[in-house]
Amino acid sequence: MTIREAADALRARRVSAVELAAAATARIGRLNPKIDAFITVTAEQAREEARQADAELAAGRDRGPLHGIPVAVKDLFCTRGVRTTCGSKVYEDFVPGIDAAVVERLRAAGAVMLGKLNMHEMAYGVTSANPHFGPVRNPWNLEHSPGGSSGGSGAAVAAQLVYAAMGSDTGGSIRIPAAFCGVVGLKPTYGRVSRYGALPLAYSLDHMGPLARSVRDAAIVLNAIAGYDRRDPTSSRYPVVDFIPDDGCSIRRLRIGFPGNYYFDRLDPAVESSVRGVFARAQSLGAVVQPVRVPDVAALNAAGRVIQLAEAAAVAEPHLEHREKFGPDVLSLLDQGRLLPATDYINAQRLRRKLSRAFDQLWSEVDCLMAPTTPNTAPRIGDATVRLDGRDEDVRLAATRLVRGINVLGLPALSIPCGLGASGLPIGIQIVGPAWEEALILRIGAALEDGGVGIPPCPVAEVL
Amino acid sequence: MKDWRALAKASGIGADPTQLDRIAEPLEALEAVFRPLVKDLAPGVEPATGLRLEEDGE
Repeated sequence: MTIREAADALRARRVSAVELAAAATARIGRLNPKIDAFITVTAEQAREEARQADAELAAGRDRGPLHGIPVAVKDLFCTRGVRTTCGSKVYEDFVPGIDAAVVERLRAAGAVMLGKLNMHEMAYGVTSANPHFGPVRNPWNLEHSPGGSSGGSGAAVAAQLVYAAMGSDTGGSIRIPAAFCGVVGLKPTYGRVSRYGALPLAYSLDHMGPLARSVRDAAIVLNAIAGYDRRDPTSSRYPVVDFIPDDGCSIRRLRIGFPGNYYFDRLDPAVESSVRGVFARAQSLGAVVQPVRVPDVAALNAAGRVIQLAEAAAVAEPHLEHREKFGPDVLSLLDQGRLLPATDYINAQRLRRKLSRAFDQLWSEVDCLMAPTTPNTAPRIGDATVRLDGRDEDVRLAATRLVRGINVLGLPALSIPCGLGASGLPIGIQIVGPAWEEALILRIGAALEDGGVGIPPCPVAEVL
Repeated sequence: MKDWRALAKASGIGADPTQLDRIAEPLEALEAVFRPLVKDLAPGVEPATGLRLEEDGE
């Protein structure tokens, strides 16, 4: 059931918010011990919020489509009175006195908060094999990673523990778990969603966004969380529109860019074939598929890595005297960041400006770009490398190589599931648009979804 | 190419020999890609960071 279907059922009194929350809590109780998607479950609080949601609906106060819907947030969003760990030992006892802006807005929209989701330590990695709270497991195959860093968010949505979850994306951390878990993930434009109250990884690269069961569900969540917030110095006043695609929306005559360089290098053959299939489907729906040459994405990735290393090290430096509190992969990245000279950071930001200008020109040729989200399906938990095109590639570098550059540009990107690999694991395709064009990429995603692009629901019961 | 192991030791971050490898090897690889990219940046290309002062007093 999608958010839209649940919202309709609530208003038709076929189900109550209390029943939805109880069903979600029961499912979490049954599945979470195997998946480890949640660090904290706020069942009692959820019951109370659901009771209030029912009372409001009965009294004629309708907060919109999220009213009474069970959701959860990655454990880096501050929640007043509820522990917020950032998946780290550093914050293991941190109980914030505030709600993050995103949490405030979800509550204002009537969503029922089921708890805090597991993640890669400090949001600094792609496996969500958390050394402190246990590895999140992919509901499609428990031996495989859900991706990360928002791995708990991807797993919780795929396992249908919640209807939607909030994640954050600094170098692909919403889109990677969305692709690996077979769900929809949206990274909005930088500045579209407030970062206030979200524990930072890298200030100039962090984006907040939803993971959901369908494109329209992701749009429903974006409607609730988008908009200016003076408490986030990078928050934008750019006008917010209704992001929910119309039923029967069309992509006829839209120009979809097919990248002739970079994005189709060294792919798992099943990923390539699924993604090419989506281009064919888009064409059959009336879109114009146009080959394009994209600016230097490898250079964007290099700039992004330098910026992230430096900014993350700056954020974590006060805690680095307690080296024993960090897992080895995160500690290594933080140490790397401490050693980079300031000139490298500044030059990476200059490179970012130059490449951003080059990328802007692309939007005169096409309305959006489509490309694989990741070059491979979910790796096995513990694997350090993946084999692609006869070459072993570091798991983190492989997972981020098609997504990181978009964070450097700050552009909106939507990952939707588009196929299953040879091992039965999901494949994702990302739709990247010009700045502030979330409505456009959501429309394209919804039209493709309506046109049959997608995968069956996760057979979670069969893998347990 | 910088000697990242020596820099790490000198910086006093307290990394053991295994940690030094985990620090140096990725930085060497990153440096090999990154350094040539910035060589030709024109002086007029400013960094994509900056203080943005609100005009309405917020």
